Amino acid sequence: MFERFTAGARAAVTVHAPTEARRRGDRRVGTEHLLLGVLHDVEAAQTLGVDIETARSALAALDEAALAAIGIDARGVERATITESSTRLPFTSGAKATLSNALTVARRTGARRIAVVHLLAGLLDSDRTDPATSVLAEVGVDRVAVRARVVP
Amino acid sequence: MEESPLVARLRSHDPAVLLRAVGALHRLAEQVEAAAVARARAEGWTWEQIGDALGVSRQSAHTKHGK
Repeated sequence: MFERFTAGARAAVTVHAPTEARRRGDRRVGTEHLLLGVLHDVEAAQTLGVDIETARSALAALDEAALAAIGIDARGVERATITESSTRLPFTSGAKATLSNALTVARRTGARRIAVVHLLAGLLDSDRTDPATSVLAEVGVDRVAVRARVVP
Repeated sequence: MEESPLVARLRSHDPAVLLRAVGALHRLAEQVEAAAVARARAEGWTWEQIGDALGVSRQSAHTKHGK
């Protein structure tokens, strides 16, 4: 499935994104993990103006805020990063849609391969309810402005 | 600390917040479990004792956390 991806895009999707999901204790790879996966790419991080640590913190902040909304204060609780197993994690439907968007963008621009920049465009086009959209808003990325700067 | 606009908005009870809270609870449980098991192992608990405490078999506990 990923033969048409560049090495960087393939690493983001098949290595970094699942690793990010696993270390958080998630069982499926979602758009937020794809976003973190893409941020492993220095150029993508520069385009967004966000580094991976900031994005990880934003995701954690969103979780803490959601927990607070249901009356749970999880601050200061001892947690460990999950390092378990390498079983393959499935993609969420949102993540699949992002990959499909990336493919569409790549095709439209006549690119031979799906590169990180196409994934980035796909993520910037994410649905309102996609976790990646929440993370981008949380870190203050102007999706429309940045989207206009990456591939058409 | 100043709250970001989104964090402030999350204080309301819209479905997106509640659904995220459920996911966050799962993640929290997994991360706290990993920390607790590591601590128990460091203090000499057996996989059987840890499994019993978590309500799973010795083997499940070991498969999940033993490396």
